[in-house]
Amino acid sequence: MGTLLEVKDLRTEFHTQDGIVHAVNGVSFHVDEGETLGLVGESGCGKSVSMLSVMRLIPMPPGKIASGSVLFQGRDLVKVDDEEIRSVRGNKIAMVFQDPMTSLNPVLTINTQISEALELHLGMTKEQARKRAVELLKMVGIPEAEGRIDDYPHQFSGGMRQRVMIAMALSCSPQLLIADEPTTALDVTIQAQITDIVKRLKRELGMAIIWITHDLGVIAGLADRINVMYAGFVIESASNKELFANPLHPYTLGLLGSIPRLDEAHKAKLTPIEGLPPDLIEMPKGCPFHDRCAYRTDKCANENPALELGAVRHQVACWNWQDVQKLRATIKR
Amino acid sequence: MTQTRSPAGIDLPHRARSPQRRVVGRLLRNPPALIGLGVVAAMILCAIFAPQLAPYAYDAQDLSIARQAPSPAHWFGTDDLGRDMLSRIIWGARSAVFVIVMVMIVNLGLGVPLGAAAGYFGGWVETVVMRAADILFAFPGLLFVFFIAATIKPAILTWAREAGWRDLANSGYLDYAVVIIALGVIGWAGLARMVRAQVLAVKEREYVIGAQAIGVPTWKIIARHILPNALAPVIVALSMGLGDIALSEGYLSFLGIGLQPPAPSWGNILSDNAGRYWRMFPQMIWMVWIPGLILAAVVFAFNFLGDGLNEALNPELVD
Amino acid sequence: MANPQDTALIEVRGLKKYFPITQGIIFQRKVADVKAVDGLNFAIKKGETLGLVGESGCGKSTTGRAILQLYRPTAGEVIFQGKDLVKLQGEELRKMRRNMQMIFQDPYASLNPRMTVGDIIGEPLEVHNIAKGKEKKERVQELLKIVGLNPYFVNRYPHEFSGGQRQRIGVARALAVQPDFIVCDEPISALDVSIQAQIINLLEELQTKFNLTYLFIAHDLSVVRHISDRIAVMYLGKIVELTDRNALYNNPLHPYTKALLSAVPIPDPVVEEKRERIILVGDVPSPVRPPSGCHFHTRCPLVMDKCKKDDPEFRNAGAEHWVACHAV
Repeated sequence: MGTLLEVKDLRTEFHTQDGIVHAVNGVSFHVDEGETLGLVGESGCGKSVSMLSVMRLIPMPPGKIASGSVLFQGRDLVKVDDEEIRSVRGNKIAMVFQDPMTSLNPVLTINTQISEALELHLGMTKEQARKRAVELLKMVGIPEAEGRIDDYPHQFSGGMRQRVMIAMALSCSPQLLIADEPTTALDVTIQAQITDIVKRLKRELGMAIIWITHDLGVIAGLADRINVMYAGFVIESASNKELFANPLHPYTLGLLGSIPRLDEAHKAKLTPIEGLPPDLIEMPKGCPFHDRCAYRTDKCANENPALELGAVRHQVACWNWQDVQKLRATIKR
Repeated sequence: MTQTRSPAGIDLPHRARSPQRRVVGRLLRNPPALIGLGVVAAMILCAIFAPQLAPYAYDAQDLSIARQAPSPAHWFGTDDLGRDMLSRIIWGARSAVFVIVMVMIVNLGLGVPLGAAAGYFGGWVETVVMRAADILFAFPGLLFVFFIAATIKPAILTWAREAGWRDLANSGYLDYAVVIIALGVIGWAGLARMVRAQVLAVKEREYVIGAQAIGVPTWKIIARHILPNALAPVIVALSMGLGDIALSEGYLSFLGIGLQPPAPSWGNILSDNAGRYWRMFPQMIWMVWIPGLILAAVVFAFNFLGDGLNEALNPELVD
Repeated sequence: MANPQDTALIEVRGLKKYFPITQGIIFQRKVADVKAVDGLNFAIKKGETLGLVGESGCGKSTTGRAILQLYRPTAGEVIFQGKDLVKLQGEELRKMRRNMQMIFQDPYASLNPRMTVGDIIGEPLEVHNIAKGKEKKERVQELLKIVGLNPYFVNRYPHEFSGGQRQRIGVARALAVQPDFIVCDEPISALDVSIQAQIINLLEELQTKFNLTYLFIAHDLSVVRHISDRIAVMYLGKIVELTDRNALYNNPLHPYTKALLSAVPIPDPVVEEKRERIILVGDVPSPVRPPSGCHFHTRCPLVMDKCKKDDPEFRNAGAEHWVACHAV
């Protein structure tokens, strides 16, 4: 399968009164057609900002895409004019956000909001758009779609609203769906409904998905490949199974050790990652994780490791990943 | 380092600074607010040092120099009785500041405790306070002041004269009292509404419930946890309201129910000059323009300042 | 396990909390009730952690607050140290708060932004006349050390700290009065993953050190299973199942518990691939008009006619495994 989106050396910064916030610091990755890429990290790691940069939705100022390119169907989305990016946004690349309530206009009916994109991007008539909107609502599992299409957003529950958002995102049959923590605000049983729908839709429609989340559990059940982000860097990238079976970066390892698992009886103690993520205004010189890292050496404080191949189709940005691997092997035994 | 949610929904880290320093910093970076602050400061200085600053006594008459145009001896000219306009305007600042401060005290003294009680306790307390505020709102403010001036003031004056307190009756203090009572009694309702709304919002915050969980006594919860966190919009409204008070004092005095000459007030200076002589001597524009512009400048200044404070005190705002 | 009544530190009987919905401005009249908590019976044993899980709007936070009398219950009893908290008023209740404390969900909202850390942690010492002046300051610094913060932080303001550090401040404030019982209301939900484990470990350490009893409220079953001894599952104002944490996971009896367990994602793609999910249909009904009979019957895969009419009794299904379901 071909590459759909390729991001190269993307840097995004925010110029604030306190200084320059280095939100994304030279991130490179790609998404293949029909693939689900998980973007995992904690708040402030740059996972959302990198995707908003791809869509050129960063508020400028204070935001600025300092360097890099975003190649999508032969075009560099960083360089194209506003007219062109608008024709891509919502049409070829669609986005779903965390909070469905703030993403929907409360004074317009669901029909108006879905039809808008259909009329704009696909040139449908009102009747055609309405028919398609009903189809879309049925597709995302909204019961009695014909009756509910003229309702307003507040008449839907949180989970139903998120379904509406997904329907809207899919209205123009995008090639790429960017989902920014779409289930974080929802309860687990509703989250299960939504992830179920997304998996089914992906099978049926074959679009690529970038799923942004902080929840390793959710992504384990969804992604083909996962990028782990920390302080504006991608620090590990591997296939889903490889990443969980063979984590090479101490941060990834730390994340896995610090969450209790439902299928595990009480462990004596969780092993948290001590300390706090770095200040994005005064970024540390070396590896951004070095002051929290149990495997650090002198080199880590001075030189920032690049993302390099560790195992087969498995990239990691760590000077000492071999030690991590060895040590983990001894613990397992 | 802490996170603040920017309008675009991106969490931007920013340096932690004390709330006070952040407010001052933002205010100092806002030119209109700085101008407002400057004008207000100048007015307060004039009020405090009026005796030292005014080149002449505010009531010194000299008919031989009546209605003179601005000159090096009289920067703002003289009025129809030959009084120095600059001196009267400087002394007028003292009247204005005195009225503003007193009205503010009455407004705050009534509005904050009543609004806080209504918001915190709810129930019948809230009903009584808020319905009283509604009644005041339903009443046109100016009419209410007329009512006080027309009914209560003559009665008190008569009573004072009969009781032998002629000095009090003639001193002009009563004029101040009427203006302050009238504006004070009207003004608290708006503040009380705002304080109540704020208290209702702050009362549900977790740190207030936290204080209850700890076992902090109710009065301490209100004084320490609720009010300090509820007052930011009140400060803004108050700052904008101060300009209104200055203006109200002006128009009351202009209409002759506020401060009476020879006591200097921007309102009565305007009315003296405009009402009686400007029509006959239209070339003497300074007699009206100068006090009018100063009053307007003060009202604008308070509004600029209020606007600046509104931005500076907004916790949602990222620098 | 002993009979819970023997060693119960806190006992909740028939606890109800309804929030009235009113209409009208001058003459308010009640038009309906939000039945947030609708008749709970359970006990928490001394030294144990009882986990209370459920989805948003199930009434779990209200339960915590109603037990501590931060919301006065509509009905029921809360027996704590031989007294019914529901009947206590004013000063008597305020003094009782020395023995029971709370840790909040949102570390940003639960600390007064205008007070220093020293004042925040010192406030309970001051209002309960435990320590004053220099002694208070020393005690505050000691508390900061206990929760793993630098004692020099006393003069700083909450906004100078990260979420995890603020939560530690909240824990120190709760510990200040040396309580026996602490309600932890989603204490880690607002924190980043790598920080959550720090706070969970801290809470566990403190429990052992000070012999604390916790009511641990959360929506995350994985966390609750990790930290709790027993777990109560709530749905729409009622407890549907209550048992030992391993029994709940290995042998869930209530269909809602089963669905909830199956919906929790597990961070392991190999496990995730093989799992069978029970996807519940529809949404949680409104607590204003809860369904007749069993509240869960509208979404239940095992629904019978009886469920629509009769509210199932909360009963012991053996080995202290309590459940409210007609189908069990």
